[in-house]
Amino acid sequence: MRSIETSSEARAGERAFIDNAALMLRAVGIGKTFILHGQGGVQIEALAGVSLEVERGECVVLVGPSGAGKSTLLRCLYGNYLASRGSIAIRDAANDGRPVSITGAEPHDVLRLRRGVVGYVSQFLRVIPRVPTLTLVAEPLLSRGVPEDEARSRAAALLARLNVPERLWSLAPATFSGGEQQRVNIARGLIAEHPLLLLDEPTASLDAENRDVVADLIVEARERGAAIVGIFHDEDTRGKVATRRLELQPPLRH
Amino acid sequence: MTPLLSARALTKQYGGRNGCRNVSFDLYPGEVLCIVGESGSGKTTLLNTLALKTAADSGSLHYTATHGDQLDLLALSEPRRRLLMRTEWGFVQQNPRDGLRSGVSAGANIGEPLMAVGARHYGDIRYAATQWMERVELDASRIDEFPAAFSGGMQQRLQIARNLVTSPRLVFMDEPTAGLDVSVQARLLDLLRTLTSTLHLSVLIVTHDIGVARLLAHRLMVMQGGEVVEAGLTDQVLDDPQHPYTQTLVSSVLPV
Repeated sequence: MRSIETSSEARAGERAFIDNAALMLRAVGIGKTFILHGQGGVQIEALAGVSLEVERGECVVLVGPSGAGKSTLLRCLYGNYLASRGSIAIRDAANDGRPVSITGAEPHDVLRLRRGVVGYVSQFLRVIPRVPTLTLVAEPLLSRGVPEDEARSRAAALLARLNVPERLWSLAPATFSGGEQQRVNIARGLIAEHPLLLLDEPTASLDAENRDVVADLIVEARERGAAIVGIFHDEDTRGKVATRRLELQPPLRH
Repeated sequence: MTPLLSARALTKQYGGRNGCRNVSFDLYPGEVLCIVGESGSGKTTLLNTLALKTAADSGSLHYTATHGDQLDLLALSEPRRRLLMRTEWGFVQQNPRDGLRSGVSAGANIGEPLMAVGARHYGDIRYAATQWMERVELDASRIDEFPAAFSGGMQQRLQIARNLVTSPRLVFMDEPTAGLDVSVQARLLDLLRTLTSTLHLSVLIVTHDIGVARLLAHRLMVMQGGEVVEAGLTDQVLDDPQHPYTQTLVSSVLPV
């Protein structure tokens, strides 16, 4: 992997997690540069020098103008983008709470972390075609070994709470409205109660009533002790869920 | 966790050209690893080398057997190799006719691997074959028909049943959905995804279809000119490709 992580920095990272038992995520000096080989090797600087620490029970809301790198930062934290610079460590519940460095981890470790620790909800639902909604929502629980009956009843309860009509549960979500798909996506993202949640505009195409339901669910997750990093476009939701804000500025373009 | 299959600097070339060069990776239990790349990039050569269908020129290849024994696959004796193929591995061919026996019925195609590992009770074997036909969504009342009586997509599902009936731990698949129409392909993908997660299978799939890779695989290896040019988590490789060839590959996918 391409991270620049000196061993002293790695040790400082480990110590931070031992000293602070509530620390879930520690990112230091994250930068991301995209190199477009097919287009003359153009370099796009998307993110420069962002550092962030998040504890249990905190919800950090990322704010900043479009192009400031909010989504890029979230994707780097999830391991979806490879950070070009800096280090990211996440507390691994299964491994005595020792941190795993996402920048430099084996794919196998990142997968385990995603199953048990890190949940990510984007604006878009991307799933296998023709799988019924209820099965999709129950799936994260099944993959963690929850019995099928329990997984399905918890999925049903969450879908009901998000006002997804019961007649849709047995259908695949491809034909649902944008708002319905987004709520299915939120249910799928929140059902496993991951201790670290990364939310990329989960309320973007919801009406006010459903936005409130989602905000309530996020607050409940926070009060349960989840550490949350999120992007929300409306001030209303931000005000409800945030315990802290992090302002991002677009990096200087060359 | 120990890797199930572990390859280091694996090389297989034909007269010093083509083939695959210097491939290293670890495959863990329950993981689906996709090998993608254009035709001629060495995907199938790599798969056949890993499955011991062709002999490697150099490098090392280790496998952790059921009881935890580490096997050096490149030094394995022929009887042990055959035992491994029967008991712990499956191989799904691109063309179902290469993986099925055309001279015996659908039920016999599924039952045969069971007999090869010692099943002798006819009623049990027939029952298992019926169960598996239903599992891969084939009409179980057609159990006595020959493979030629089934459509291409059905034959492919029959081949999958034949390979999974002995509960293997590692399955190799060479373009399992190529040549099928999209609706059958979607159903087959859904079936494969369900089977791999419920049976906790490790799978190595060769495909040139990025969509298949995104839906099925946990991890990707991208090949070009016989070498692995990029490897990583599926969503990371597809959303943030690093290598020039991967960027071209990802940006060439037609939107629907």
